[in-house]
Amino acid sequence: MSGFKNIIFRKNLFLKLSVMELRGSFNEFKIVITSIFIGVFIITGVGSLSKNLQYEIDNKRSELLGGTYEFSTTYQEFPKEIKNWLEQNGKVSQIVEMRTMLSSKKNSLNKRRIVELKAVDKNWPLIGNLKVETENSGLISTNINEKINEIFVDEGLKNQLNISVGDIVKLGKIEAEVKGIIKQEPDRIFSFANFGSRVLMSSQTLKNTGLVIPGSLVKYKIKFIPNNKKLELSFLNKLIEGTNVSIKNIKNSTNNFNTFIERTTLFISLVGLITLLISGVGISNGVKGYLIKKIKNIAIIKSLGAKNNQVFKIYLLQMFSVFLIGIIPAVILGISTPFLFSPLIGETLFSSFQAKVFFEPIFISCSYGFIVCLLFTIIPLSKTYEIKPIHLIRVSRDKIHNEHSNKIKIFIIFLICCLCFLTVNLTSDIKLAFYIFISLFISLTILTLFTNFFFIIFKKIRFKIGSLLETIRRSIVDRNMFSKSIVISFSIGLSLLVTLNIIQESLDKKIYDTINQEAPDYFFIDIQPSQIEEINKIAINSIGSNNFNAQPMLRGRITKLNNVNVEKLKVDKDVQWVLKRDRAFTWSNVKPQNNKLITGQWWEPDYKGPLLVSIGNKIAKGLNVKIGDKIEFNILGRNFEATIHNTREIVWESMGINFIFVLSDSIIKNAPHTLIATSKNKNKVTSSEFVEKVVSEFSNISSISIEESYKTIKSLLKLLIIIINTIAFVTLFSGVIVLSTILDVSKKDKLYEVAIFKILGSKPKKIILLWFYEYMTIGLLSSLISILIGCLVSFILLNYLFNVEFYLNYLTLVILLLILPIFITIFSLFKMLKLIYSKPLNVLRSHY
Amino acid sequence: MSIMNQNTIIKLENVFVNLKSNIETIEVLKGINLNILANKSICIMGHSGAGKSTLAMTIAGLENITKGKIFYKDQPIHDLKEDDLADYRAKNVGIIFQSFNLLPSMTALENVNLPLEISGNFIDDRQSIKLLESVGLENRINHYPHELSGGEQQRVAIARSLISSPEIIIADEPTGNLDKKNSEAVIKLIFELQKNHNSTLILVTHDKSIANFCDEIITLDNGLIL
Repeated sequence: MSGFKNIIFRKNLFLKLSVMELRGSFNEFKIVITSIFIGVFIITGVGSLSKNLQYEIDNKRSELLGGTYEFSTTYQEFPKEIKNWLEQNGKVSQIVEMRTMLSSKKNSLNKRRIVELKAVDKNWPLIGNLKVETENSGLISTNINEKINEIFVDEGLKNQLNISVGDIVKLGKIEAEVKGIIKQEPDRIFSFANFGSRVLMSSQTLKNTGLVIPGSLVKYKIKFIPNNKKLELSFLNKLIEGTNVSIKNIKNSTNNFNTFIERTTLFISLVGLITLLISGVGISNGVKGYLIKKIKNIAIIKSLGAKNNQVFKIYLLQMFSVFLIGIIPAVILGISTPFLFSPLIGETLFSSFQAKVFFEPIFISCSYGFIVCLLFTIIPLSKTYEIKPIHLIRVSRDKIHNEHSNKIKIFIIFLICCLCFLTVNLTSDIKLAFYIFISLFISLTILTLFTNFFFIIFKKIRFKIGSLLETIRRSIVDRNMFSKSIVISFSIGLSLLVTLNIIQESLDKKIYDTINQEAPDYFFIDIQPSQIEEINKIAINSIGSNNFNAQPMLRGRITKLNNVNVEKLKVDKDVQWVLKRDRAFTWSNVKPQNNKLITGQWWEPDYKGPLLVSIGNKIAKGLNVKIGDKIEFNILGRNFEATIHNTREIVWESMGINFIFVLSDSIIKNAPHTLIATSKNKNKVTSSEFVEKVVSEFSNISSISIEESYKTIKSLLKLLIIIINTIAFVTLFSGVIVLSTILDVSKKDKLYEVAIFKILGSKPKKIILLWFYEYMTIGLLSSLISILIGCLVSFILLNYLFNVEFYLNYLTLVILLLILPIFITIFSLFKMLKLIYSKPLNVLRSHY
Repeated sequence: MSIMNQNTIIKLENVFVNLKSNIETIEVLKGINLNILANKSICIMGHSGAGKSTLAMTIAGLENITKGKIFYKDQPIHDLKEDDLADYRAKNVGIIFQSFNLLPSMTALENVNLPLEISGNFIDDRQSIKLLESVGLENRINHYPHELSGGEQQRVAIARSLISSPEIIIADEPTGNLDKKNSEAVIKLIFELQKNHNSTLILVTHDKSIANFCDEIITLDNGLIL
């Protein structure tokens, strides 16, 4: 081993010198290593996990889809001829899915929850097994079809309602027994539940509940394994032509879970990337601090005949070693993540799960790690060119022409291009990648401009010679501009904190205001037209008729835009979701209350002509349609063509009932449909009493609390803010490294300064006071710059991205303004205090 | 045709060095003309601020000159680029500083090896060990600078300055940080090694007793040779 080491070291001078130089210096890179570690770990971990899940999904598509094909239709059962054909030509299993309320008979509090109900026939599952945990038998495979008025529920629901196996719950018209807890549902992932927990039951039990009535939002599915293995999808497409049936097969099935994985991966990877990029500033500061300490060593090496390039390579190699120490454990831990989670994944998502190592996430995270590290290291490292060996004798103020500066600039541009390429690859969205880079670039430019502006002012102004102000000014401006490095290092972290704080406060205020002023308290879904009159009566007697608002709703799919099939259309990525799945429609001859017309006019209240449609303005732009264009919808298996009559601005933030598509009154209103409604009342007790009355009287109606939903959104938002706040703190901490390094470097000057002050008769107290003012001024300057940048950036983001009013909490702002100066002052004084007790003569004798 | 005498190793022609401070530009050397002969020792004397160290560092290629010419054996070094000056130093100049300037992260042996490593001439440790033995540090080979006394550190610096067998050794106040006993030992060592290695020694000092060991003494005052 030592022979091998010798060969490597003998051959490579740079490596040898780097190792020698770096010996014992790793402590100085703690923050740098941590910053790299966090970013690379997040990207590798989430990438590996996502790759493993995708791989598993791809391999188990049949099992997860529950068959070779899945046919589905909404509202109506399958046309008989299709159903018969499928039954005659393969194995078939029928499923019915819907959303409803389940109430526990056990508790008075928290006794009702919205659930995703799934009723299955005797053939389900065609592939795989259902595993449930029952009271006496433990984990077993079971056939649900035999169970009448018995249900199986998710672990989540069990915990939410505090129910246990054997308890009785109310579902529609029946009281059902909880027979077991679902441990594995083979085709669960591809029917990924969004709203509530899963409740499994037999088809007969569903019938008994009486929940399926005309107009109920019910999804019928048939899982199908054909006898003829060579059956073509095109043949099946012909079979369903002209109906509202759609097909998924194992090859083309995009599903909510896939989309969920893709989006979550993208989001967490972006958090990782942003962590890395922001940490880059910490990395840069750490390297800068390290090099400040190494100025003398660099000068020595150069005085012994080392060329600039050699010195650059020696320190670049050292930094590479530091990167590796951050990156390697991060990658190892990252690729271990799927292995660590494999028992959980195997238990909850797939029947079996064997984690694997994938090269792509390793490549992506390592590339990100190295590129970001290099990008932020190369500038401080290029300063090694400017260190002259004459530094050993005196501080040189000669301007140094760095003949490699152009090469370095080109290299930096190359690194940025690589980063852009990788980010575009990661996000598959050039716009998003562009926004990330442009906002980082603008933020750093603003920071540099602000800092330079303040320092120019500090340089230009003059106070009375000998005055306290002038002494402070000189010590801040003169000492090799070290104070500027401190200000920039701290301002990055603090301005990020200020920005986040203002955004959080503004969003909190908006949410608080909306909940208290505009938003309804509850949503009601699946109201039958025959029930609305009765509910209105209940409303009049409790919350008041004005506080109850109901609108009819039907779901359908857009099939054509201007006579072109939607499959052939190329539309904005942001609005593709509108065309992908069923959408909700309403109809009204009166303009919705909260909506503002952008183009066109609303149709007459008594309009009875050909079908017209009003469409959300942003969606219209994304779909590239305008007034007069035709949209074809398939509702309940029938196609309707509507002409766009106007476009509206939809205020989603109002949290009221909003539809993208509002149709004119037509025969559609005679189709079986349900109503969606909202209720509101200042008195929370009255409000919940009203809800209680409605849902207990009409078992098919489900209610959703807006406050509960907001709590979920807020907790997600809070989690995100905590993550970014942590990054901001890491960045702030990297400022401490720079401060600490600069204090170490300037100790010699400070010692000399103390000696001179003492000889001139100054008392230690006075010197401490002078330093106090000096550090306080640096701290205040950093705070001021951070707050200016924080306010500016948050104002822009709130106005143009979040569309939320800018709100400033002055108390928090003052606290943030003061924390940094106080910290810098205490930290600096603590580090420098022992210099005060140095003997002036000893210092002066040994100075230079 | 050579512009220098056969024995001249360094020639300075009308050399000016200006140093910029925040407030003003100071003329440190004001037209120095000097011939330094090979294998001889020359002492640069003068009071503080006379320009002694600046002159020595100019010859070492560490200080840029504002005006004039410097030749090393016929070769002009005043217009060399930084990297070429580094080459010139690596091959021809050994420098001993007042404050030793050893790399704290390297042992005595590694510090001595360093010039060879930089110039790419390192083969093994034998030559460095021999040199360290010749300066009396055979028992301190693997010690780090902070484990050595001031005198020992300076002896490591001397060994380092000689490792590449340079033709010129520049010693800038080599005893400035040492006590009397160590100063004498170090000076004795420098002259002994200079003779053994047939080098040219340029010694900067303000100590007359040390200057007397040299073949030639020049005195600087206000940037000019008296």
